Amino acid sequence: MSKAEAKPENQFEPKIIAFLCNWCTYAGADLAGTGRKEYQANVRIIKLPCTGGIDPLFLIKAFERGADGILVSGCHPGDCHYNSGNYHARRRWNVFRPLLEFCGINPDRIQFSWISAAEGGKWVETINGIVDAVRELGPFESYQKLNTIGPETTGEATAASGETG
Amino acid sequence: MSKKIGVFVCHCGTNISATVDVEKVAEEAKKNNPGVSYTTTYKYMCSDPGQKLLRDKIKEEGLDGVVVAACSPKMHEHTFRNASKKAGMNPYHVEISNLREQCSWVHPDKPTGTEKSVDLVRMMTEKTRKDKSLNPIKVPVTRKALVIGGGIAGIQAALDIADAGHEVIMVEREPSIGGHMAQLSETFPTLDCSQCIMTPKMVELAQHENIKLYTWSEIESVDGYIGNFDIKIRMKARSVDLDLCTGCSSCWQVCPCKKIKSEFDMELGNRTAIYVPFPQAIPSKPVIDRENCILMKDARKRNIKPNDSKVCRKCLDSCPIAPVKAIDYNQVDEIVSEKVGAIIVATGYKELDDTSMYGEYGAGKYKDVITGLQFERLASASGPTEGEIQRPSDGKVPEIIVFIQCVGSRDPAKGCSYCSKTCCMYTAKHTMLYKHKVHDGHAFVFYIDIRCAGKDYEEFSMRAIEEEGATYLRGRVSRIYKKGEKLVVLGADTLTGSVVEIEADMVVLASAMKAQDDAEKFAQKLSIQYNKDKFLSEIHPKLKPVESSSAGIFLAGACQGPKDIPETVAQAGAAASKVLALLSADELEREPVVAKVDRLPAPIFSTCIGCFYCQRVCPYGAIEEEDIKARDGSTIKTVAKVNVGLCQGCGLCAATCRSKSVELAGFNDEQVFAEINSVEFN
Amino acid sequence: MIEELRKKAEELLKNDTVKVVFGYGEGSVPERTRPVFITKPEDVNKLTWNKYCVYNLTTYLKRQETRKLGKPAIIVKGCDARTIIVLLKECQIKREDVYILGVTCDGVGDPLATKCESCDVHTPRIYDDLVGEKKENKEVPFEERYAELDEYEKLGEKEKWEFWQKQFSKCIKCYACSNMCPLCFCDRCIVEKNQPQWIDSSAHARGNLSWNVTRAYHLAGRCINCEECQRVCPVDIPLNLLNKKLAKEAEKNFDYRPGYSVDDELAMSTYKEEDSQEFFK
Repeated sequence: MSKAEAKPENQFEPKIIAFLCNWCTYAGADLAGTGRKEYQANVRIIKLPCTGGIDPLFLIKAFERGADGILVSGCHPGDCHYNSGNYHARRRWNVFRPLLEFCGINPDRIQFSWISAAEGGKWVETINGIVDAVRELGPFESYQKLNTIGPETTGEATAASGETG
Repeated sequence: MSKKIGVFVCHCGTNISATVDVEKVAEEAKKNNPGVSYTTTYKYMCSDPGQKLLRDKIKEEGLDGVVVAACSPKMHEHTFRNASKKAGMNPYHVEISNLREQCSWVHPDKPTGTEKSVDLVRMMTEKTRKDKSLNPIKVPVTRKALVIGGGIAGIQAALDIADAGHEVIMVEREPSIGGHMAQLSETFPTLDCSQCIMTPKMVELAQHENIKLYTWSEIESVDGYIGNFDIKIRMKARSVDLDLCTGCSSCWQVCPCKKIKSEFDMELGNRTAIYVPFPQAIPSKPVIDRENCILMKDARKRNIKPNDSKVCRKCLDSCPIAPVKAIDYNQVDEIVSEKVGAIIVATGYKELDDTSMYGEYGAGKYKDVITGLQFERLASASGPTEGEIQRPSDGKVPEIIVFIQCVGSRDPAKGCSYCSKTCCMYTAKHTMLYKHKVHDGHAFVFYIDIRCAGKDYEEFSMRAIEEEGATYLRGRVSRIYKKGEKLVVLGADTLTGSVVEIEADMVVLASAMKAQDDAEKFAQKLSIQYNKDKFLSEIHPKLKPVESSSAGIFLAGACQGPKDIPETVAQAGAAASKVLALLSADELEREPVVAKVDRLPAPIFSTCIGCFYCQRVCPYGAIEEEDIKARDGSTIKTVAKVNVGLCQGCGLCAATCRSKSVELAGFNDEQVFAEINSVEFN
Repeated sequence: MIEELRKKAEELLKNDTVKVVFGYGEGSVPERTRPVFITKPEDVNKLTWNKYCVYNLTTYLKRQETRKLGKPAIIVKGCDARTIIVLLKECQIKREDVYILGVTCDGVGDPLATKCESCDVHTPRIYDDLVGEKKENKEVPFEERYAELDEYEKLGEKEKWEFWQKQFSKCIKCYACSNMCPLCFCDRCIVEKNQPQWIDSSAHARGNLSWNVTRAYHLAGRCINCEECQRVCPVDIPLNLLNKKLAKEAEKNFDYRPGYSVDDELAMSTYKEEDSQEFFK
């Protein structure tokens, strides 16, 4: 990642993957752009029609791909373009988040938020917030270093992960 | 065979190129990416020459996938997909990398923006690689419309559609069409008589050969989807045969129950148990109010059929129709089915009547504190006082009337934060009507702000103050209490900073326009959205003001939010024009972003195991059950199937399916997977 | 009780109410039982019932081999009957296609299985016929039911990670857990999907994590904690801890316990507007 002038050399730059709904948060991110609101460049957006269409497998895959943090964001409760998609999504995250936490993954690495199409400012705050928070946590090495070779070397990888999520 | 993908990076003037090195983005797109066979940059991709470039290169280079790295897909995805279609490429092989809103405008540091841009282009290139050709879904259209609600909004919309040659079904739950507009005395800002302009429209509607009218009827259920709605209508038992009845009036003249509060007169007048709500009602045929009719009450109490009760049969006896009387006590509700292609919801509003919210104004216990609509009835020539302003308690002509604005509007403390929009104008009108009828009377108005934005509106309200002598006081009323025959109104005049005490003969509350009591339930029946105040929601507040969240269902009038008559009529016309566009062809085309449950060869047939979680979560009821049958007709398995007419493409089913047997076209598993898997963060 | 069971089974087979009885038979050693599938009335003496009848026989409702035998009568304990309720709700069986022979139960296993420690279904909540004396289904407090999780929830983030990595590292991806689970009934498990391959099928650390997390998540709001996955795991991964954690969250957040009523809304296919969102920003 390239760094702005003020940032110290070799500062860890977290990688954030954001899963956004098309109607609210994606539009909110657009609004931040239209308003020329500057924010940190660590986020890669994946657009889906609705937060209700986000399978928890996407999050697992994002971590596997090397994400240090994940943002899931959609319409505020009651505002879903599809009436109830975000409510169903909220249920999902209500069980999936504790499951990851139970397995030793720091829940601060995944953030869920409601950002409307009118909340360009909130988008900026949210991104800067999660980037800073994850920078604090450091790279998600424990996950990234999980080996992908075979069962016999698994023990090694576990030992190697000095830091955990 | 791998795709030949073209990457077109837009400068957007300098909007992108100022902070993103577009040449480098194009160059990197090609690097390490054998699928990308052509890259270029261009000043304005969305311009005519830009689109031509895209079309030409698709043909020249034989591209079968395109990534346009430009502004938000919300701006020009459609543009570039159309251009590709013209060049003979399936438009769903076009993806947009949003460099402007996500990079150049928000990351002023050029290397940063450039590197992120490279990543975004790669993600979309990988997605494009997995794009599949999609073809518009063709849905047959029943060229007939349903209009729910027979107020001015519904009447206008129905007439517009019917005049254009399409059949219209109108359903009104009251015994007559006309709605609130029929109750009004005069209308602002012209002071023309409401009924004089309303009743001809009502008659026109009733006589229109393309309109089928169901009054005293309600929507039982709405199934189906755009172009193909199945409607069930409950025709409530009217107890009167509409075909036989001539509306001769003999029945309601003899009805002994004469003290029933008239809904039409806002309970200021009385009606009988068998009644037409007002003289110009359409149809001008009566209905028996089963709650209050003594015969019906007796039958209920004794649990017998109404016709077996002999308590009172005056209306039946008076009916001159022979040999079969037009009155049928035993009539029951009837459910009829209709098929339509489009629906207009024009269910209107109700006036705030929850006076208990305003304990300080007497909470309904002072007879002479009335609502705006009650004042309309008092001022109406067809009203209970035949247009004379008399106070309800003793019939005295009031010498002083205090009008209070914003009752139930702009009052977050009472849970209603919105402005009802019409009250400033109708209060000004009320003061004028009052002055016209009671020349030496005096009108005081308490207001927060005067909001009279509209053609000739400001002038109208100034007339009330300057020419008709109404006294406007800026402030709220804190209390009303009774002192002898008078009502003492305690308020503040915030402009002079003084407390005002007025001894009034009557008080008129400019009561808010509220959503109908059953608006929420009704909206759920139609699967359309509503806001916190239960007004039905348009899909886009500016650009799609009459479209509801369900395709094929449109909104007109105050069901969508408070509005006055001109605005309502304009919106009704707009909704009608949308319906006409929809009904203009036998088939309509829909975007193919819909879900699909997989089908495979025997012996699997589908990986769907039929747990039907998808059916339970689908907001549109778009998931159906399909039996996969063996040759002998026995069912091998029952699996899910998507009704593409109903599916709106949210993808809830796909994310709920554990075996990933449902996919959303345009966002299918491989596409999302490719996107996630191509993030590099350089 | 055994005699009664046998008599019932014989009757059902004789009068052709069912084609087969799924039950427990004696195993190779007295401390073990094995599933038996009785199709002839004269074979009912193979049926047994004792404290070693740990298995959840409802898993045979999903298998082609046993489905082929025709309409079954199935012997279920209270806990197994909860599975039946979930299967009914998830359209995997039709009520009329299975005859439920409920047995009342004081707990199985020696030592007593964990699942029995906080049992509140000594008498099945759904059955066509009940064998054994009806027992009171006394409610067990929330905390007590999930007490097993306490020591793991208390661990720090790092300890949790290391504990589970150690456990998952043993996984050989044999899928005995999902094969045995009566609620893992997909024709094609997500792990078998290869276009795209969301879950690495190799038994390496990364693939094992995604597999085990996904398997557990797919049981959220559904698992009735019969512990069969854990029992059959050849490398002794405490899989039911994950299931139980999810059950706890579903109960805490949605006030939902699967398998108690055929009329409730499945937790993961519905929502409430007032659902918790304390961690949403």
